Amino acid sequence: MSAGGASLLKYMGKRAVDRAAVIISSLTLQFLLLRVLPYYVLGIDPSFFFLNPNLTEVQRELIRKQFGLDESLLSQFIKYVLSLFAGNMGFSFYTRRPVFTELMERLPNTVLLFGTSTVLTIILGLIIGIIVVSKRGTRFDASVIGTSIFISAFPLFYVGLLMLLVFGFHLRWFPIAGTISRPPPRDPVKYVADLLWHMALPLTTLLITSVGGFALFIRNLFLTQLGEDYVLTARAKGLTEREVMIKHVLKNVLAPVINVLALEFPGIISGAVIAETVFSWYGVGRWLFSAATQFDYPVVQAVLFIQVILTVIALYLADLVIALLDPRVRLR
Amino acid sequence: MGQFQESKVKALKSFLTELKLHKTGLIGFGILLLYVFIAVLAPIIAPVDPNETGLADSYAYPEWFSTFSEYSNFPRNIYLKINFDDWNVKHLSEGLTLRNDGELIEITAHSTNSPSVKDAIFEYSFDYTYDPPKRFSGRIPYKIAIYNSIGSYVRIKCYIIHPSGREYEVYDSMSIAVNLTRLDTPETYDARDISLKLKLGFSPHDDLGEKIFDTQGTYTLRLVASIFIAKGNGRVEVTFGTKEFRIYGKLYGILGTDNLGSDIFSNLVYGTRVSLLVGVLASVISVSIGLVVGIIAGYKGGVVDQILMYFTDTLLFTPILPLIIAISVFIGKSLYLEIALIALFSWMGFARNTRAYVMSIRDSMYVESARAIGAPDMYIIFRHIMPQLTPIVYINLVMRVPGAILLEATLSFLNLGDPSVPSWGRMLYSARYAGAFFRFMWWWIIPPGLAITFLALAFVLLGHALDEILNPRLRVRR
Repeated sequence: MSAGGASLLKYMGKRAVDRAAVIISSLTLQFLLLRVLPYYVLGIDPSFFFLNPNLTEVQRELIRKQFGLDESLLSQFIKYVLSLFAGNMGFSFYTRRPVFTELMERLPNTVLLFGTSTVLTIILGLIIGIIVVSKRGTRFDASVIGTSIFISAFPLFYVGLLMLLVFGFHLRWFPIAGTISRPPPRDPVKYVADLLWHMALPLTTLLITSVGGFALFIRNLFLTQLGEDYVLTARAKGLTEREVMIKHVLKNVLAPVINVLALEFPGIISGAVIAETVFSWYGVGRWLFSAATQFDYPVVQAVLFIQVILTVIALYLADLVIALLDPRVRLR
Repeated sequence: MGQFQESKVKALKSFLTELKLHKTGLIGFGILLLYVFIAVLAPIIAPVDPNETGLADSYAYPEWFSTFSEYSNFPRNIYLKINFDDWNVKHLSEGLTLRNDGELIEITAHSTNSPSVKDAIFEYSFDYTYDPPKRFSGRIPYKIAIYNSIGSYVRIKCYIIHPSGREYEVYDSMSIAVNLTRLDTPETYDARDISLKLKLGFSPHDDLGEKIFDTQGTYTLRLVASIFIAKGNGRVEVTFGTKEFRIYGKLYGILGTDNLGSDIFSNLVYGTRVSLLVGVLASVISVSIGLVVGIIAGYKGGVVDQILMYFTDTLLFTPILPLIIAISVFIGKSLYLEIALIALFSWMGFARNTRAYVMSIRDSMYVESARAIGAPDMYIIFRHIMPQLTPIVYINLVMRVPGAILLEATLSFLNLGDPSVPSWGRMLYSARYAGAFFRFMWWWIIPPGLAITFLALAFVLLGHALDEILNPRLRVRR
């Protein structure tokens, strides 16, 4: 057992180095695309976009110096990465406020919306997927597959627009924009109710677009497992279908599920950009969108950095789960 | 015996599933053919150029709404072209000569011993039988030539005369004492002109169309040329071209008009081209990149593999939408740039698949024996590995299209698409930000999204069917 623990530690240490390296390379890539590319392709740096053209040369230089834009790109990059890891994300070019402060205003909203939708997607997807796989080959199975494929062809923003059109503009059941009523209710219970009321449409939209695909993925994952010997053994022992599914198969599909969910993080950020723009949700995605269209690079880079960190942590957890469940991978 | 029968039932069932899947594949292929047909024949199917604006009033309803009584009397487009033969010469002062020169009307005044004012008045009447419109406009091409007569001037006015006899002066050139030609670039008046509204005594928020054409009846357009001619030996010529007068309808085309008065149906038809182009081209490029990276990484192995996979992972962990947004904002909005960006950020998954596949082939016996007899790498790749990759290349070529189509639509919806190209995403963008939702213009909002969905769906169905047919591993499983 101690040998197994040592090999696990060694394996996880090696993975940690690999994953950390990806963070650095991702930061480098972002810097190359967002700062070096405009500088060498168009010969401009970000100050071009936010400096008032009426300023004098001295004033310009002072502002550029204030943001550290007068230094060479390489030293900017090194300083930027070092300060990122120290928790300093710099200042927005536009609001001149610390990126961290602005992020903290919006992050709870995004985590609330997308956390809820992700958790609900996993739960609903697992339930639907397992129900479907236990009824595989029936008409029910086929209709669920068909519906899932059909719904997954809808663009996220279009589902959002239809929701807005029907339930927001036509029936007027739900608000058409915003995160909370203005002014926000003082009573905490009413506050939560108001927040949920605003969240209903975006949340439904996200669920509609994601549950079907995830359920389909679960179904196919289970299908590949059902042909395995251990399932036959479990059935031979006389376990019911439900016991086979939950006690044996679920444990084996956990690793790929976690892996896929970890790789969903970049998709969640892209989804946040769309959904929060459609529903005017006061969150990180809409902020990222407006920052990207305004060349507010400190904001863009900070959000992408956080997203990469989260993805890597999630993948690392997936590594850990896989290594715990399957000792063979540690020896690779 | 029972087991045998069960396996027979299973085989039959799997056969049926496969058949059904192939049927859906056929449906997908059919939908795709329809889209290709529409894309190729877009100039024939679309009634007008999608970029043309002002075809009818903004936010016009579809023409077929007129079958509902609520909309039956909505204003239609009225487009009058009034040339010499149509004008009714109401008044012509003595000394004026009138000449019909093809499409032009030429009015000539000669100087006399004393200065005088001479008027030419033309009228044209038409029946207006619809509800009040919001907007009208007119174009009056004219030319003024003053020969050898200092102090002469010309003043041109247009009126609209209400059935009740009220007169609205919609155009006044003021006194013109110089030679000028406005035949090619006619003077215009428009009901949306705020100074015109104020001049006629209305509030800037009123719609002139509603105020002037407020009842049904016979309206008259009057064109007046007043010529003040100084004494002496001069001559003044006023030439009118064909006067155009338009009333912008509130009913137009199959799907009405958007906020700029463009035909929504034509935009919908032309949008097919962009989506197909982006989807197919981006998919081809991304599959090619993925194939090359996957083969090199999988075949070479070792350090090359690690570096390539490291790079692939880096891209895989980066959210592509914000990056594409940031890049297209500073490089510019162009269709081909968009395609390139979509392709450059979407090859990673396929590269990983290919790599795994190539690795398994590389380690197989026949490749090893080929290597043992001294076959070069290129020979092995093209002779032994590529043919085996053909099925997954085909499947991925089809399966990557929907993602590219949805991404293009999303980018256009975020107003990052090429503004000169009609696309479904951009239609939805303008619907969202020009108030289609407040007006509940579902005929503007619903069709573009459904078009995107069904095109994506066609490729998905086709891909699934190909997967079934070409991928032997899947066939065993189902």
